[in-house]
Amino acid sequence: MTGVIEGGWEFVFAAYGVTAVTLLGYALSVHRRYRVERDRCRREEAGREGGPR
Amino acid sequence: MIVLRESPRPYVLLAFGLVLLVWGTTWGLLFAPREAYMGDVQRIMYVHVPTAWNAMLVLTFAFACALVSLLRGGPQWDARLEASIEVGVVLCALLCAQGAIWARPTWGVWWDWDPRLTTMAVLLFAFGGIVALRQFVDDPVKRGVWTAVAVIVAYADVPIVYFSVRWWNSLHQVQSTPETVSSAFHWPLRINAFGVLFFWTGLVDLRARLAALRREAEAPPLPASARVEPIAEGGTR
Repeated sequence: MTGVIEGGWEFVFAAYGVTAVTLLGYALSVHRRYRVERDRCRREEAGREGGPR
Repeated sequence: MIVLRESPRPYVLLAFGLVLLVWGTTWGLLFAPREAYMGDVQRIMYVHVPTAWNAMLVLTFAFACALVSLLRGGPQWDARLEASIEVGVVLCALLCAQGAIWARPTWGVWWDWDPRLTTMAVLLFAFGGIVALRQFVDDPVKRGVWTAVAVIVAYADVPIVYFSVRWWNSLHQVQSTPETVSSAFHWPLRINAFGVLFFWTGLVDLRARLAALRREAEAPPLPASARVEPIAEGGTR
């Protein structure tokens, strides 16, 4: 027993992996939701402009 | 009225944050020296500590948005408030996950009811509860006010989380600052801290735009008497 932790790279990779998946996954989720909402707004706007007065 | 117009700004911030994170992570994993006692496991610090700093920062931004939202009102600040709460919850959840992964090889357990971890869990559930609260209130004005009040109350836990390692006997080490971390570890830590900072500001910017679009969609249509036809130059309709 030296008191020094040997190895442990699997924990390092797990921490960085969880971080990458969380940040990129959340960013993609926000981007996708934003695109859906923006397209819906554009459709509604086009519908209002082209509709009867 | 859409207040937050379409702009490349959130994507520029996200891309810049990502570049910094790749740079800081490469430095931290490949070039930074091993720590004397924790060995390579200490490299988790380069991602865990920047996440912690930025989680506190985004919740402080949410607190500021809550104050401005209550004092001045307006959908813009409510959209920023909604965005910063959600991003704050994501960062707090990520922080707990990274902490558990670091705790296992160093403390021998994934979780302990230690003051820092417990107050952090309270913070995560408090802000998670506020995200849930917003789903149950249909009136946008009431939703904005209730959210702002709840954020101001929940924010009281942020200084408690920060000082918990000094106020109580904690397994968790004291706050990581340039004074408590060896200079050999400073640069990857700083680069990743700015990486997470730019990344969350991009996320909050984009998420606020989404919130503003949703708010616009739920606004009731104007009555016919309130509609004004555009007036051409010269005064004729």
